[in-house]
Amino acid sequence: MANSLALTGVNAGYGRVRVLENVSVSVAHAETVALLGTNGNGKSTLMKCIMGMLRPASGSIVAEIDGARHDLVGRTTEEIVDLGIALVPEGRRLFPKLTVEENLLLGAFRRSARALITRNLDSAYATFPVLRERRRQLAGSMSGGEQQMLALARALMSEPRILLIDEPSVGLAPILVSRTIDKIKELKERFELTVLMAEQNFNQAVRIADRGYVIVHGHIAFEGHNTDELNNNELVRKFYLGL
Amino acid sequence: MAIDLNLLINAVVAGLLLGGFYAAVSVGITISFGMLDIANIAQPAFILMGSYAAYLINRSLHLDPILIGVVMTPVFYVLGMAVYRLYYHSFERHGDQSIQGLAFFFGLLFVGEVSLVLIFGVDYRFVEASYIGPSLKFGILDLPLRMLIPCVISLLAIGLLQFFLSHSFLGRAILAVSQDGPALQLMAANPTRIKQAAFGISIATSSLAGAFLIIIQPVEPSIGRDYIGRIFAICVLGGMTSLPGMIVASIILGVVESITATFYGPSWAPAVSFGFLLVALAWRPAGLMGR
Repeated sequence: MANSLALTGVNAGYGRVRVLENVSVSVAHAETVALLGTNGNGKSTLMKCIMGMLRPASGSIVAEIDGARHDLVGRTTEEIVDLGIALVPEGRRLFPKLTVEENLLLGAFRRSARALITRNLDSAYATFPVLRERRRQLAGSMSGGEQQMLALARALMSEPRILLIDEPSVGLAPILVSRTIDKIKELKERFELTVLMAEQNFNQAVRIADRGYVIVHGHIAFEGHNTDELNNNELVRKFYLGL
Repeated sequence: MAIDLNLLINAVVAGLLLGGFYAAVSVGITISFGMLDIANIAQPAFILMGSYAAYLINRSLHLDPILIGVVMTPVFYVLGMAVYRLYYHSFERHGDQSIQGLAFFFGLLFVGEVSLVLIFGVDYRFVEASYIGPSLKFGILDLPLRMLIPCVISLLAIGLLQFFLSHSFLGRAILAVSQDGPALQLMAANPTRIKQAAFGISIATSSLAGAFLIIIQPVEPSIGRDYIGRIFAICVLGGMTSLPGMIVASIILGVVESITATFYGPSWAPAVSFGFLLVALAWRPAGLMGR
């Protein structure tokens, strides 16, 4: 059954500061879509709008989950997570003074995920063996790469259909960035997820994306229908890479 | 000064029993102040309300005071949730909780105390139960039942609470909520509701703690003030968020106070226990079992 996400004509901001202007982004079933842009262009704001953490001034945000359509605007974050959308937030937002296992178990707070908690915990440990080794360790005492793995694993504990990932590469060593990106691809395929990933590391994100958008100053400056269009485009080079 | 061994052993044992009671009194503040960051200095007023509830029902229906404490727990839970709602809508929602919230609970403490004075007067009140009075004797050891029974039930109840916190979804969310409330929303949990339930539990504990207090000694409305400093000290010494740490801290404080009171006089007990707190925090700033 299909899981997809569509934002149409979204305007949003903080107080009088406009951040997103007329943004339309869509993610089709089982696609990985990259939202590309450098700092301060509105990627996280867009994620917040989808998750109900910021209410757009106008525009529509519609998710299709297991074939059922849901209008997301006006819903609380808890309700949106309950529908089957999970966000791996920027900065990971783990509970630093809880253990790795306690963080994972909290990921399954969603009502429909509770029954599957044992299976999902086993699967999280199978996917990320380092988390099993460190299950009794406090999350805040782990390295950045391990924390990013825990944030991914925790989001998956809620049994999402649509996974949003905000800046998975921030603060990681280059070798860990490519490992994290590979892991996202592996998880997406294993759990048949629909993925929207905000990222400023262009080359790494394009490696696993089916297609992507370039966001500049809150506008969608360019839409690439496949990775070739993103890789070989003058506009992208100018806007994004500054070449 | 030669120390009488019998006296020392009895002082230590009395301190252990006192510590079990202190744990029951401090568990509420460990939840509200330690886990939720809510400086509820009105906690002793709620404990006294627990004592007076036990007094009233014990007088009229002749029920066991501990049984009354258990049965009244849901009433105190609902009362706690209502207080949290008021606190949340008045202060926390606007981010005004640090100073104004403190003033709110300070006011609540006095309103609670004065209400008890108006209703019950300032005379000492006590309850009746078969275990107030007799002692178990093992050789030189003397175990008063009015101390032993609250201590045992207190430790059992805290054990149950600890099991609930570490094994239920609500319990784990309570441990997480003050670390990152918005992140908890991403787990499909509503942080305000989690805090409301947790604060309800913290007030619910004062029902049983109040029953223990009036079993151990007769109460009058201002006696709660003796506990304000002590319960915060125990919470901080235990490591803020840890119930096992809180129990260890209660027992240490109980033993230190009991030994001081036995050998140097009761008026030295608070000074010695707060001195101990300072030394312990210099040695372990995060508390005994702080994370």
